Amino acid sequence: MTWRDEIVSALAATDIDVVAYLPDTPLGPLLDRLEETDVRIVPVAREEEAVGVLSGAWLAGERGALLCQSSGLATAINGLASLAVPAGIPFVAFVTRRGGPGEFNRAQVPFGYAMEDVLDAIGIRTASLSHPGDVERYAELAAESAFATDSPYVLILEPTLTGVKDEF
Amino acid sequence: MSSEVADQVACTAAVLAKTPDAAVVSNLGVASYVLAGVEDRPLNFYLWNSMGVTTAVGLGVALGTDRQVTVLDGDGSTLMGLGALATVAEADPPNLVIVVWDNRAFATTGGQETLSGTADLAAIAAGAGLEAYEAESDAAFERRYAEAVAHDGAAVVVCRVEAIDPDSRPPADYAHVKRRFREAMTD
Repeated sequence: MTWRDEIVSALAATDIDVVAYLPDTPLGPLLDRLEETDVRIVPVAREEEAVGVLSGAWLAGERGALLCQSSGLATAINGLASLAVPAGIPFVAFVTRRGGPGEFNRAQVPFGYAMEDVLDAIGIRTASLSHPGDVERYAELAAESAFATDSPYVLILEPTLTGVKDEF
Repeated sequence: MSSEVADQVACTAAVLAKTPDAAVVSNLGVASYVLAGVEDRPLNFYLWNSMGVTTAVGLGVALGTDRQVTVLDGDGSTLMGLGALATVAEADPPNLVIVVWDNRAFATTGGQETLSGTADLAAIAAGAGLEAYEAESDAAFERRYAEAVAHDGAAVVVCRVEAIDPDSRPPADYAHVKRRFREAMTD
């Protein structure tokens, strides 16, 4: 089972109804796989909208997941800090990290590197996933904990898991 | 240029009269204050912050229900999240109407001018691919809102209103507002 298979399986096991996303290179094949499932897929123009869409889905009685890259999560901080956290609205996020080992683009480094610190400062839990085989279990536990505690949970997909952008 | 404007309180009452069972998502500030004053109901979700995200919340609700969903957004918030109009047009849920109360001002921070005196929000919405209507009186709003509800796809009604400063407020307990709304949606 690849890490992508593990996420598809975890989303099904935790009854995720809707995925809102902006793409990243490693996420493309995952989105193709999700297109073949019953999950509703909502493309957004900016990642903060995804926080709104997934919050609305929860308000309507559904469960949501966010897929984006770390630079995109940076655009979503206001929605997280002033809607999802204070209202207590859960979803699970899968965020590919740029800025880590193998990064060539310095513009990806500051937020990619500081993502956990920023999320921690606004009270959002994170876990870092770098090993195939761990992904399904972490994803299921993180999703169930998010929905049990009415709070978002962010899983960071490390480049050692997803592969680096080869520009060297 | 017309100087006529609609009454936001009367138009908000008209929304609830036309679609009494609608889930209503309202922008922070005046849109929520007025809605709470007209009727504080479980199917109101008042945003207390996250300006620019109101319409996206309404989209998420609309995709998860067959019920009518109406967003009461403001011109400042709409301008802050223009991309959401394209996102809504792409998803195009037929049960979603976005009302934009265009008072040309940031009314909760002292009435400073927004950019909607220059930007044509209905044209922007139409350009994003949405059915868009405009209203500048109470009677016109009632007609346009009814057309927007009947339209087979997501629709926007930009309603020119006066900047007002109501005294009414929604419940301050955000988690309560959320829980009450979700319970009403899943009953």
